[in-house]
Amino acid sequence: MIRVAIVGGGIAGLSAAYFLARKGADVSVFEQKYLLYGASGRNSGGLTAQFVNEPLIKLALRSLELYDRIQTETGFNFLLRKDGYIKIADEKNEDALKNEVDFQKKAGVNVRIVDPDFVRNLFPDINTQTFTAAAYFADGGVVFPWPVIWGLAKGCRELGVKIYDYTPVRVEVKGNEVLGVRADSELHKADYVINAAGAWSNEISRQAGIELGNRVFREEICVTESLKPYLDPYILDVSTGVYISQSMRGEIVGGILGKEAEEVSVKSSLDFLTAYARRVTELVPKLRGMSILRQWAGAYDVGRNGMPVIGTTKVKGFIQLNGFGRNGMSLALAAGEGVAELVLKGKSRIVQPFNP
Amino acid sequence: MKDRKVVCRCEDLTEEEIIHAIELGYDDLESLKRFTGATTGPCQGKGCLMHIIRILSQKTGKSVDEIGVTTQRQPVNPVPLYILAAKKGDEK
Ligand SMILES: Cc1cc2nc3c(=O)[nH]c(=O)nc-3n(C[C@H](O)[C@H](O)[C@H](O)COP(=O)(O)OP(=O)(O)OC[C@H]3O[C@@H](n4cnc5c(N)ncnc54)[C@H](O)[C@@H]3O)c2cc1C
Repeated sequence: MIRVAIVGGGIAGLSAAYFLARKGADVSVFEQKYLLYGASGRNSGGLTAQFVNEPLIKLALRSLELYDRIQTETGFNFLLRKDGYIKIADEKNEDALKNEVDFQKKAGVNVRIVDPDFVRNLFPDINTQTFTAAAYFADGGVVFPWPVIWGLAKGCRELGVKIYDYTPVRVEVKGNEVLGVRADSELHKADYVINAAGAWSNEISRQAGIELGNRVFREEICVTESLKPYLDPYILDVSTGVYISQSMRGEIVGGILGKEAEEVSVKSSLDFLTAYARRVTELVPKLRGMSILRQWAGAYDVGRNGMPVIGTTKVKGFIQLNGFGRNGMSLALAAGEGVAELVLKGKSRIVQPFNP
Repeated sequence: MKDRKVVCRCEDLTEEEIIHAIELGYDDLESLKRFTGATTGPCQGKGCLMHIIRILSQKTGKSVDEIGVTTQRQPVNPVPLYILAAKKGDEK
């Protein structure tokens, strides 16, 4: 039986574990803290396929299918709503948005340019003065990241995967081959080690003697008190990076796209809160009286040229599955499925373009 | 309904539900919080965190120190967006 050790219990690591175990591999997942400690437990759950190259679009479309399938297979409700993902843009960013949509249409994405009134029909409280055009992806939407992780973990355990939480590990290599991972004094031997450590992936890669060079970002986010459900789609303002959606619990979840950081950090700031408050009250003036209940931050890693890094390396058995940036919830399920295929069959078409 | 001991009012969680989650394996505070939603409602744990820790301690035998507390998230009390959005010198 092929033994696989996976570093990182986020969506990428757990997805790979799930698909590997389904095909009979002997899989262990190691998480340094609790499941949900990484970006997979801190994100806004927006699901989209509005990307600017075909390999990413393929991963995203496949991931959308997999959400439905894994929900059924694991009997876990991901609180997934496919009510659409909308990018709005001002005059300055309108042309870029239109070009993007032209490309995406050709790549088979069900997306189109709509005017501000169209968006107001979907969400009456939006201030149509704040943007000039929008790109509407009807099949996108919002998922609640916590049950996604719980559900994957449950599915994994039922397939015999061992999940070790509160267990930081290091990769061990001998010569040009992986031996496994080490937790404290114990070596867990493995034929393959998968680096799914998100923002910590550079460090894990270095332990195998490989410079990965992913960039680390920090992104802040917050929620308001709960309202009755009334905002269906996910809305991203590409002009300012501000985004909002509503959770199934009724909170308005919103943030600002992340910025590159010197190191992995999950500190929150008042600067973020004021910048967010200004823009969100322009976009949706009626939210002015709503209170912020809680804010937090998360860290993710962006691979070279903004692409994920997925595939085998010069160290035999050491596999990269990281660099998902701001889009891991939209991409990583299919990437995990692809990596399982790569490990068990030697190749996978869907992840091939992301070869390290 | 007898013995319905509510421990988290915001999320309407009973002691039984917390115990059930612990028995499912969500037996550390961070996981328990995220699995049940306890401490993440409007009170942000002010009313329920101590109960949750007590139940966890009773069920797992861990001491309160071992269990620790969850990360305390800002803001301490809810702050309205219009206040955060105000610029220096704004009257309203
Ligand atoms: C605020 C915010 C909003 C976001 N919004 C969206 C969105 O709307 N849509 C979307 O698609 N994506 C979004 N993202 C991005 C998404 O969350 C990430 O791309 C995705 O979660 C990455 O998953 P991952 O499994 O690669 O990494 P992670 O979830 O970070 O998992 C990596 C895990 O590895 C563990 N680890 C690290 N080192 C070790 C070690 N030595 N031993 C053991 N374990 C280790 C970490 O603790 C961590 O849990 C957002 C991110 C943030 C922060």
